[in-house]
Amino acid sequence: MSAITAERTVARRLGRFTGTRNLLRFAVRRDRLRAPLWFVGVVGVFTATAGSVVALYKTPDQLASYATLAVDNPAVQALTGPGYGLDDPTQGSVVLNEMGMFTFIAIALLALVTVIRHTRAEEETDRAELVRAAPVGRHASLAAASLWTAALTTVVSLGLTVSMLTSGLDPAGSWAFGLACAGVGFVFIGVANVAAQIASEARAAIAASGAVLAVMFVVRALGDVSGNWLVWLSPLGWAQGIRAYADERWWVLVPLLVTGGALTIVALVLSRRRDLGAGILQQRPGPAEASPRLRSPLMLALRLQRTSIIGWAAGLGIVWVFMGVVAKQADTLLENQAVADVIGGSGAASPSDSFLATIVLMAGLVAAGFTISAVLRLRSEEVAGRAEPTLANAVSRRTWALSHLAVSSAGTVLVLVSAGLTAGIGYAIGVGDAAEVLPLVGAVLAMSVAVLVLGAFAFALFGLAPRWASLAWVGVALGGVVALLGATLDLPQWIRNFSPFEHVPALPAEPFNAVPLLVLAAVAGVLVWIGVRGFGRRDIN
Amino acid sequence: MATAIAMKNVVKTFGSTRALDGLDLEVATGEVHGYLGPNGAGKSVTIRTLLGLLRPDSGEVRLLDGDPWLDAVELHRRIAYVPGDVSLWSNLTGGEIIDYFARLRGDVDTRKRDELIEQFELDPRKKSRTYSKGNRQKVALVTALASSAELLILDEPTSGLDPLMETIFQDRVLEAAREGRTVLLSSHILGEVERLCDRVSLIRAGRVVRTGALADLRSSTSTSVTVSTERRIEGLAEIAGVGTLTRDETRLSVDVDGHALDEALSLIASFGITSLSSQPPTLTELFLREFETEPDKAGDEL
Repeated sequence: MSAITAERTVARRLGRFTGTRNLLRFAVRRDRLRAPLWFVGVVGVFTATAGSVVALYKTPDQLASYATLAVDNPAVQALTGPGYGLDDPTQGSVVLNEMGMFTFIAIALLALVTVIRHTRAEEETDRAELVRAAPVGRHASLAAASLWTAALTTVVSLGLTVSMLTSGLDPAGSWAFGLACAGVGFVFIGVANVAAQIASEARAAIAASGAVLAVMFVVRALGDVSGNWLVWLSPLGWAQGIRAYADERWWVLVPLLVTGGALTIVALVLSRRRDLGAGILQQRPGPAEASPRLRSPLMLALRLQRTSIIGWAAGLGIVWVFMGVVAKQADTLLENQAVADVIGGSGAASPSDSFLATIVLMAGLVAAGFTISAVLRLRSEEVAGRAEPTLANAVSRRTWALSHLAVSSAGTVLVLVSAGLTAGIGYAIGVGDAAEVLPLVGAVLAMSVAVLVLGAFAFALFGLAPRWASLAWVGVALGGVVALLGATLDLPQWIRNFSPFEHVPALPAEPFNAVPLLVLAAVAGVLVWIGVRGFGRRDIN
Repeated sequence: MATAIAMKNVVKTFGSTRALDGLDLEVATGEVHGYLGPNGAGKSVTIRTLLGLLRPDSGEVRLLDGDPWLDAVELHRRIAYVPGDVSLWSNLTGGEIIDYFARLRGDVDTRKRDELIEQFELDPRKKSRTYSKGNRQKVALVTALASSAELLILDEPTSGLDPLMETIFQDRVLEAAREGRTVLLSSHILGEVERLCDRVSLIRAGRVVRTGALADLRSSTSTSVTVSTERRIEGLAEIAGVGTLTRDETRLSVDVDGHALDEALSLIASFGITSLSSQPPTLTELFLREFETEPDKAGDEL
């Protein structure tokens, strides 16, 4: 009798995973385009950079000159890590000092976006109900999403290892770095799984797990700059602690795998405590009547984007205050081409100004992520059928589209000002001079023009070729590659010119020049005009 | 009589699909017009064209004496629309959404709104993410019915409503009709169409294949008659419009077309009726008869 009960219990537990294999196959099929793109994006950029570093630093002298700069430089440490192996530099350790941390972040983003796409985002649709009504266990979608994402991050990580091996780098280090990347992927699979259980919307789940990534980055950076135990609070710190090409410590893979696994188990437990479609966080009742201000598409757009604007502004503010604090340390930098490439400054400016210009640029790149996702809400509103009742009401297409664009643009400026203001305050505290705050605010305002061009590009795509609207992300990716790796990759100038960031004066390292900003503003204006015209003429989905 | 909606030879293609294939539709001002057809026939495409959301490839579309593509905003002030699949902003409450749409149109009648919310038993304080399909539908219905729009465009408005709510909806539409408003009602619930509509149009494969008053359409279909007579009926089968007879010892059953009813019943009466029952054609039969055949055959019938 009890044997039968025990058997049934086991069968029930296993039954929660029924259908995982089918869902897994389905996930692979859904991502048949995305997965290769991620692979090409991450491995491609890495390979190109590694290749040019290998070509650039051949002799021990060249390697040593790179190392003198990066070692004991807090600004570099904050961005890329402590520079393991640079005391006796090899090509491998230089490559990783340039690319290691960025690659970890890319893998983490890949993991969390993919997991949430196949869990919470799916559950937001009606499809999940159909799937769950089939003989599919409660845990199947979580399991399938985790397995698929683990496979994807592992393949991308192995691609990185193969890339390093073919560049002729030391095998042990190449394997160590690849495995560390996979380990970071596993941790963020766990983080995203938990976020997907707690939040009831995919957007919130992505924001929450992205915030965890940002905090982990800052914790690690603080640890690396001050050289203390804080590093060990961050999975990014563990991953770099594998010390690829610098007397590898393989055991750090254990905490990475264990953390990822443990978080996923937590997610499984959480998922048993909630209903399909609901989050752990409960909904409270809201107002029965709309506030008097909610009376136009503009106010609705503001209402819809409010939370995300505040979140992004707060998030950037927290990270950038710390960047500002670190900037002071950059004055210890020497003149070295390799680091100048990383920092992206011109020869004449002081290292701290170059560093400040770099963090303004990075704020621009991150804010562009907000801008594109905000502008593309137009498309998601349309696809979800929420544009239709508004446009069937007494609202013109132009008013509706420009309302969302206006809120996205104002949000962009706000997010950037938050980054500039906090970085300025951080720097002012570091150097003890309050006059340092305003120039940075000015710098991010100049930067916002470039970001708004990308937003306008997304808007034009939305108006003209709505199916291809998400190609707007290519603009951000191009901007990122040109800005961070343009010099290292030795990209031709005509390619760089496609990036709006390329034309913004690198304040405060360069003098202010209004002409390029006006040109960028004009480009943005034309793109918006194209978007409005296109949207006015096409069918609504 | 003035026309609220006039579509002439309208064509709309999506790639190689002809969603509207020379569609003609006319709705008179003040009438409740039923719009029927199988799934994928082009009902929603018609409605989205009328709302100026889709741009027709060719043909003429007039709506309240305007061009729905060019005069969209002005026309929409006079129209209320209920989509078949209502999608709402998940973190706004139903009440907020109703108010928002009312303010966009610029006609807010809080008394009517509250009355409708109560009648439909909608909780306006709930975030719309937690609404069932029926409740999302109620949000759209309250929005439309609380407005003073002169034309209501309803695209399968009661999908997901329970029978009680359906009745409330029907009463409200009849009330709107009494106020002289025009209603275009696309629906699959034939009982609803029979109760509400003055005229109906049947659409199939992007064309209106039949249009007219319900009574006229009925007369073109057959009524089934079952009768017992004192003497055996002779000569009935010879009347044009009388279908196949089935007899047992005392009773006779037959389908009789509307135009042949008078002649057939007079003949039957002459044999001494002892009992008679007849069933008028239902819209369902009409619908099935119209749409059961292959599309190309239906074309031939025209």
